[in-house]
Amino acid sequence: MAALEFAGLVKQFSGIVAVDHIDLTVPAGSFFGLVGPNGAGKTTALSMAVGLLRPDGGTVRIFGHDVWADPVGAKALIGVLPDGMALPDRLTGREILRYLGLLRGIPRDVAEQRADELLRVLELDHAESTAVVDYSTGMKKKITLATALLHNPRLLLLDEPFEAVDPVSAVTIRTILRRFVAGGGSVIFSSHVMALVEGLCDHLAVLAKGKVVASGSLDEVRGAKSLEDAFVDIVGARADGAQGLSWLAS
Amino acid sequence: MVGVLIEMRAAVMRQQLTGKRALGGLALILLVTLLAVGTLLAGLKHYRYAGAGANVVATLSLGWLLGWVTGPLLLGDDAALRMDYFKLLPIAPRKLAYAMLGAAFANVSLVFSLIAFAALIALGAQSGAAAALTGLAAVVLDLVLAVVAAQVAIAVFGPVISSRRGRDFGTMVLALVITLLSLASSLVPFVAARLTNGRSPLLSDVVRAVPSGWGAVAVDAASRSDWSLAAVSLGGLAALIVALVLAWPPLLARRLTMSVRSSRRARAARPASAHAPGPTRWPLASLPPTPFRAVLGRELRLYSRSVLRSMLLMISFLVGVLVGVIGALSGKATGLPFSGLLFTVIAAACFTNCYGDDGTSLWLTLVVPGAARADVRGRAWAWLLVVGPMGLLLTVVFTAVSGQSWSWPWVLAAQPSLAIGCAGLLVLVGAWSVNAPAADGGPAPMRVLKTHVALIALPVVVLFPAAALLFAGTAAHSTPLRWLAVPVAIGWATWLSLRCAEGAARRLESRGPEIFSLARAPAA
Repeated sequence: MAALEFAGLVKQFSGIVAVDHIDLTVPAGSFFGLVGPNGAGKTTALSMAVGLLRPDGGTVRIFGHDVWADPVGAKALIGVLPDGMALPDRLTGREILRYLGLLRGIPRDVAEQRADELLRVLELDHAESTAVVDYSTGMKKKITLATALLHNPRLLLLDEPFEAVDPVSAVTIRTILRRFVAGGGSVIFSSHVMALVEGLCDHLAVLAKGKVVASGSLDEVRGAKSLEDAFVDIVGARADGAQGLSWLAS
Repeated sequence: MVGVLIEMRAAVMRQQLTGKRALGGLALILLVTLLAVGTLLAGLKHYRYAGAGANVVATLSLGWLLGWVTGPLLLGDDAALRMDYFKLLPIAPRKLAYAMLGAAFANVSLVFSLIAFAALIALGAQSGAAAALTGLAAVVLDLVLAVVAAQVAIAVFGPVISSRRGRDFGTMVLALVITLLSLASSLVPFVAARLTNGRSPLLSDVVRAVPSGWGAVAVDAASRSDWSLAAVSLGGLAALIVALVLAWPPLLARRLTMSVRSSRRARAARPASAHAPGPTRWPLASLPPTPFRAVLGRELRLYSRSVLRSMLLMISFLVGVLVGVIGALSGKATGLPFSGLLFTVIAAACFTNCYGDDGTSLWLTLVVPGAARADVRGRAWAWLLVVGPMGLLLTVVFTAVSGQSWSWPWVLAAQPSLAIGCAGLLVLVGAWSVNAPAADGGPAPMRVLKTHVALIALPVVVLFPAAALLFAGTAAHSTPLRWLAVPVAIGWATWLSLRCAEGAARRLESRGPEIFSLARAPAA
């Protein structure tokens, strides 16, 4: 069974098509990258996949549960890291994890133990008493990742999880995600950094102007080129910068 | 260089004054003009007691000077010429400092302040040409002091205000200002009477002793031909200006090389005792570990830590209390028993935008299966636990103190039912009407309108059965009928609150993504 399945998914904003009839399957147990230029529709597609944005048409299924017809069944299986969304930021990291644990019906002692481990592994334990509003951008990213992992989901949907994260923390997160996939979990994450996708993912899809323009295993999509070169070719982008600016450093 | 800075300030202000901002700017100009003309008229007026005019003008000058000093700080530095723009320019600090000080004088606000401070000339003119001339000198010095003090204040307090805790403090000060403005109709006559009846020497001494009062002291002294005091007062103003001008370049240099970011990060790494984990306190400790308890815990913590929530509670409390207390101090204690009711209604109206005010953090609720119902119940109970006891305490204490024993059935019928009923109503309104903050971070016009409508609608909906019984009982001179209002009111409010919370939960369950979209988009 597919971990995630988009079928004919479509979304418009004020007449502009952000996601244009996407059909896409994310195999269970895969580490799946969703790449595309700015405005390609990655965040919109992921928001519809997790129940934060109602599609204009089409369906999203998570392990067979229709996200919009059976939201309780679908949401119980996923962990979400959205990009640029607020948390109850006057709470500390531990308080947010404790709050989420109770909200998800996790036994208190289990939630406390998991919160302890997550804070320690993600190196947030030194900021034990700091409200999230005082966190750096990278720390906010890490505590949001902790909220996504707390209930041990089967599928993680992560929107730009490595943005603003320091290199050491990025290594930690990569290790956690690899262990998660090795243990049978599935990950889908969006990113602009091709080297990261190339190093982590076994499958990927390329989105451009709201459509899936390429998808499949990493080798199928990139062929003999590097992923960055293949991406530029696929989306038909103009990789410029060699012309003009003759006055610069002359 | 001064010319370049003035040109830059003019360009920034031109860009800022377009579209809706221009309308807002026009309204502000109208308001400030009225205040300036009002100040001038206070200087023209004849007062019965000697020195009363100087007291009034000194007090109003204090208001204007405070406006100059705190305005840019509350708005976040100088909105037109931020000092940060010049951090990287290869310009000598002293040259930049005096250029910025010069450019600060190209400020349209000086026109309004000139009208206002002209009250000093008007005050002096009542006693002759010499006092009027003293007033003229005081006007010039006050205007210069206003500009220089504002620049120095930005350099000294700007970094503090730019930090989060500083902004929190600024917001609380703003809340206090809003509260005082909303009470102006009762506060101004109260203070004016104290200043002009000659029976509050302490208040008069204070407003004359601070630098904003020195101009009025000089004019008052000149009108009594006390030239030495007049000279000392004006000399004091001039000396203060010189001191501030000399202090300005090093302060600016310090400001431009200071990193707000690093100081904020340093604080972030320091454990904050207010947030330290500790034993779970009542009422949370007595509850089973359920999703409802999770939301209740989050909400109770946010009521004590969120600056917006603290500000709204503070405004509600101050307006509720001060309206009654100022009335009582003026000899009308009839309103005192209703302070708790006023506090509760304002607190309810302010929190009718609960989902809009929390913004995108709603995602955390939406991605958890079945969390919507707990979210609504937790929000309603948390508001009731925060506002209910305080409202009841205010009502009981103020009713007892006021001696208005006739009001007991009225307030005891209204207070608990109002708190219970509003708890459900505010989450229902919050789930049906979501107003995100405006693009500039301020409240959207629709949010303000909703709050004002709620101030009227909430008590009407919750209290009409009780009001009917109370009025009927009063008309029929029936004490049992009046007391019957108490259980009827509580019963109605409880039923209403439960129905409203149920409606809000269903709304959040069925339209969660749409509520989220509204909370996410900045209001137009």
